[in-house]
Amino acid sequence: MRFTLNIWRQNGPNENGRFISYEAYDVSPRMSFLEMLDGVNQGLVANGEEPVAFEHDCREGICGSCSLVIDGIPHGPDRGITTCQLYMRRFPDGAIITIEPWRAAAFPIVKDLVVDRSALDRVMQAGGYVSVNTGGAVDGNALLIGKDQAETAMDAASCIGCGACVAACKNASAMLFVAAKVSHLALLPQGKPERTGRVTAMIEAMDREGFGSCGNQYECEAVCPKRISVRFIATLNREYRRAGIVESALPNASESPHAESV
Amino acid sequence: MTRLFSHFQSSVGSKVLLALSGLGLVSYVIFHMLGNLQVFEGPHALNRYAALLREMPILLWTARVGLLGIVVLHIVLALQLSLRNHRARPIGYAVRRYRRASVASRTMAASGAVLLLFIIFHLLHLTAGIIDPSASDRLDVEGHRDVYGKIVHAFQNPLIVALYVVGQLGLGLHVNHAVSSSLQTLGLEHAALNRLFKAAGPSVALLVILGNVAIIVAVFVGIVR
Ligand code: HEM
Ligand code: SF4
Ligand code: FES
Repeated sequence: MRFTLNIWRQNGPNENGRFISYEAYDVSPRMSFLEMLDGVNQGLVANGEEPVAFEHDCREGICGSCSLVIDGIPHGPDRGITTCQLYMRRFPDGAIITIEPWRAAAFPIVKDLVVDRSALDRVMQAGGYVSVNTGGAVDGNALLIGKDQAETAMDAASCIGCGACVAACKNASAMLFVAAKVSHLALLPQGKPERTGRVTAMIEAMDREGFGSCGNQYECEAVCPKRISVRFIATLNREYRRAGIVESALPNASESPHAESV
Repeated sequence: MTRLFSHFQSSVGSKVLLALSGLGLVSYVIFHMLGNLQVFEGPHALNRYAALLREMPILLWTARVGLLGIVVLHIVLALQLSLRNHRARPIGYAVRRYRRASVASRTMAASGAVLLLFIIFHLLHLTAGIIDPSASDRLDVEGHRDVYGKIVHAFQNPLIVALYVVGQLGLGLHVNHAVSSSLQTLGLEHAALNRLFKAAGPSVALLVILGNVAIIVAVFVGIVR
């Protein structure tokens, strides 16, 4: 197979970028999208040109590194998969494919198709943790958790932090990501001690990083490689309201040791 | 108090206020439509109803001031959020395909703006009588203000009919997404009820459009005269 690729090229964070057209020859339908790009890059290197920078690591759909907007859809035309699991047989031979980076103010472009997603890490640092006692390890299953509850928590926990939800959202909102993290921990007994402070801190961090607000358009759910459900966004909204009620009754506490300096 | 204040200042908190103010406006819109449908019962019923509302100036003005406050809150929050959303993606995509986001959900700011223009026009037209002074207040046989006659006069004009229908389309588009969206914003979600919540927006929108457009069309084609 052969394809024409329109790829966004940008030398650095503050440079101007533009689309450059490349031809991909001798592509096997069994190649993944990233393998196809590897082929293009080999050709570029052989010609002494700069290869196209794109992010990847596991190439098996679990790490959340790969991040391409393919023909206007984050992670491409198939549902419930990451870019690395998209295969070229999905495209008609000779197709023209446009490849762009995640676009959001909170995700500055590092180079070409690589964006800096550490904003999501900072949101996690603000509250996406649980406290664990030191000392001997607790016996497995010492804490009993209902099957349904464990399953629902696992559904939320399967978020791999890729940021496709932000990329797809018209408002570049990170609500689905934050909803998944908050719901996951709020559902489990291990997450209870920080339950109230967590949701407030993570939403404050989300706003601070410059993500947009949620318009309940649900484009996030449609592109999420782990098919995280938007009902966790409703859970997040409930958690936030609960925190508002609980916290408004609390005396003003000193700064949390984990709070970031603004 | 400062905690509570900052709670509502976040993006999630202001959406809650936006949803509550929006739902308040939706209830008013439904009430307004039901009241107007009395046009079909004839001049007597409608003018009596209008007079009844005017007989209670305290109630009328509380409702007007309250509504104005809610509208202002709604618009200020909507502008703030739209600005935030705009800043969140300064550079857009060259190619963009939506899979799930409905047209109504993506055009809330635009349909809201159409709605605002329509509301101003509507107030100047029928409440203040500035746009079409030829239909100035007359009294009916019972000595009530002839609201019925005003409506009949207004919707015989095709231009006015067109403007009102466009306003109703804007309203329908806005409410279509707004009602279901606000339920999600308020955290209402349940496996057994989700289909109901999803249908709520389109149903309310359809109800309001049908009710209001029925009045306009009925006058225009001469069923109500
Ligand atoms: C009769 C008048 C109106 C009604 C009944 C109404 C109703 C609503 C409701 C219920 C929401 C949903 C909140 C949510 O998503 O949780 C909403 C959102 C919104 N409204 Fe209105 N509204 C009205 C007028 C306006 C006007 C005049 C404007 C703008 C000038 C406006 C702009 C918006 C915007 C931008 C949103 C937010 C969309 C989002 O972030 O999802 N609305 N409205
Ligand atoms: S919610 Fe889905 S799309 Fe968003 S970061 Fe997690 S896995 Fe990626
Ligand atoms: S490279 Fe790890 S998910 Fe795609």
